[in-house]
Amino acid sequence: MPDLKPFIVLGLALGGVFALSGVGLVVLFRATGVVNLAYGAVGAFGALITWQLINEGGWNQWLAFLVCVLFGGAVTLVYGYFFGPLLAQRDPLVKATATLGLLLILLGLSSWIWGDDARSIVLPTTSEGFQLGEVRVNYTQILALVLCLVVTAGTAVFLEVTKLGTAMRSLANDREITAMLGVPVRRVEAAAWLGSGLLSGLTGLLLSNLVGLDMVGLTFLVIAALAAALIGQLKSLWVTLAAGLAIGLVQACATPFASIGGYRSMTAFLFAIVALLWFARKQPALVRV
Amino acid sequence: MRRNTWKGPRSLAALLCVAFALPAFLVACGDDDSDSGGGGSAAAPKSTAPASKCGLGNGKKATGQPIKLGAIITKQPGTDFTDISDMAKAYFDCVNDNGGINGRPVQYVVQTEQTNPQQVASLATKLIENEKVLGLVGNTSLIDCAVNQKYYEKQGINLIANGIARECYFSEGIRDINMGPYFSTLGAAQYLVRQGAKSLVAATLKAPGTDFNNKGAVDLAKQEGIPGKSVTEVVPINDGAALALKLVDAAGDGGGVILDFIPPEALKVLQGAEQQGLIDKVKWACATPCNDGSIAEALGPAWNDKLGINAELNLVDSKGPDNQLYLQVAEKYGKGIAIGSFSQMGFTDAMLATKALMTVKGEFTKESVNEAFKNLKDVKTDILCNPWTFGDGVRLANDADRTIVPQDHEFVEKEKCFDIAALPSNNLEEQRKADAGQ
Repeated sequence: MPDLKPFIVLGLALGGVFALSGVGLVVLFRATGVVNLAYGAVGAFGALITWQLINEGGWNQWLAFLVCVLFGGAVTLVYGYFFGPLLAQRDPLVKATATLGLLLILLGLSSWIWGDDARSIVLPTTSEGFQLGEVRVNYTQILALVLCLVVTAGTAVFLEVTKLGTAMRSLANDREITAMLGVPVRRVEAAAWLGSGLLSGLTGLLLSNLVGLDMVGLTFLVIAALAAALIGQLKSLWVTLAAGLAIGLVQACATPFASIGGYRSMTAFLFAIVALLWFARKQPALVRV
Repeated sequence: MRRNTWKGPRSLAALLCVAFALPAFLVACGDDDSDSGGGGSAAAPKSTAPASKCGLGNGKKATGQPIKLGAIITKQPGTDFTDISDMAKAYFDCVNDNGGINGRPVQYVVQTEQTNPQQVASLATKLIENEKVLGLVGNTSLIDCAVNQKYYEKQGINLIANGIARECYFSEGIRDINMGPYFSTLGAAQYLVRQGAKSLVAATLKAPGTDFNNKGAVDLAKQEGIPGKSVTEVVPINDGAALALKLVDAAGDGGGVILDFIPPEALKVLQGAEQQGLIDKVKWACATPCNDGSIAEALGPAWNDKLGINAELNLVDSKGPDNQLYLQVAEKYGKGIAIGSFSQMGFTDAMLATKALMTVKGEFTKESVNEAFKNLKDVKTDILCNPWTFGDGVRLANDADRTIVPQDHEFVEKEKCFDIAALPSNNLEEQRKADAGQ
């Protein structure tokens, strides 16, 4: 039996970021009905801008990190502000598919600007750490775990007690009735786009450290976050958090087992499919005649 | 009335399908792996030492009927080898400005492909039968060797290429400037054995046939009486630290790990190893793809002298006359071409072809040009370790490498040229015996 302790540390950190991304997706969906498939691409693009500013522009790294987070917020906000109202009355599947456009634009731009060269960003928290028995733990891993807990709790409280949060929840229930009650729908939606975008920038920064600064790779990671959000039925922040952590843990702990290690990248798919089958269990079968 | 709800699990499943179709689409569009050598170096060195000359080197513009040569090059999102053909063209332009091939200019026709076998087959036919090129020089394609090997043989084409697929190294009519993943991984394994590695673990991408990339390293381990293991991994890697841990566990303390991934993927593993404090647990090495300026730049001082990279060509800032000419030609004729092992390969392809063309007596025909290519023997260049010979049968034209290591964001030479080991899974023993007998 391989020693799983180091893989548990890695899994919790990675799972923390999956959970953080999942929470960002859920918040946006609850307010706007959009599943943002460009979430990972936005974060990755922001991280590449940060790399550019630090390495080519000679910027102060903290300022560059801030730009990554702000870029996520700005791009997502702009997309949501212009396309959100246009797509508001469309089916959620159409809204989700529309975000693929943003994803492809960002992928194309990154390929054009940065090509395929190897790049890395090292957060100051990554260079520092401590030994836990024989396992090395760095502070970025701790940060990922703490952030996912804090952001989930903070978002839950925000949605529950603030006026804006209440407006977001009511939008999730019924957009038109909420509008008729005088809630400034576009402003509330813009706040959700902005918040979710800021989280995507933050996760992009963390993932570029935990996984590597690779546009395509980080774009793929939206799938793990999406699986976590689906398990939370795009509603529950706490279930999304737990699912994100579980996906990260299972994926990392499968690594040293020769028989299943090669299939560990399918962990998120597996979780999502099992969850869908579980949800479908309560639905009566529909037959089209 | 609209609600932000997905109508039950079926809608969730539909979303799942959209999201999960993404990777397939993106893989189709991007990030294919290749092991033909490193890409561009970030800081472009300039020529600072005496250089050799392009062709005749007489400064006279070549006139008359052009000698047509061609190439097939992969160019698609994530895999772009056009630095190679662009550099070969730059060299031919330099030759044309310096007397050409005994007065005649070279016309270089490049076709790009997107890893579609039918397209690649038709491009070969187009070049040879429609364009009437007399020879192929600098082909660098993910599938060209596999698709067109038999056609080239039938057409009497002797190809001076840069190989990726296995067929590029085990065909009678194809000779490469580089070594490809099998031999380069073996060279990296030899370095680790010399460093005293107690085991060898070779990791490459998971794709049909890629286990062969690791076979040389595993066979070498067997020959040395130490454990050897082949690991194949799905790319893109989304947990570099976990993979690094897995490889280090597999190698054991004091073992050796060899990575054969394109630079961004290799960097994920190296970065993960650094974060988990694994650099000194094992000895690390890389096949040629790590010989890339972006890797040198990205690796921190923790990796100084700790990562042996198999280098199939000389360092891009080396002072030999041919490498200096490469830098000069790149500056004058190759604006925008990245200085790195890819463009070095293109330069060497064109330089060898030019030397061969200079030997043609009489008419330039497909037969005479390909005969001249085949007759290239013991061509010395400071870009390669050993003299380059096309020769008969199946042979590895470039069969000796160097090892370089990162040192403060640059690469420096760690080991001078050494011969790649002859093993039962390759034909180097017969090749060397045949060479010694001549």
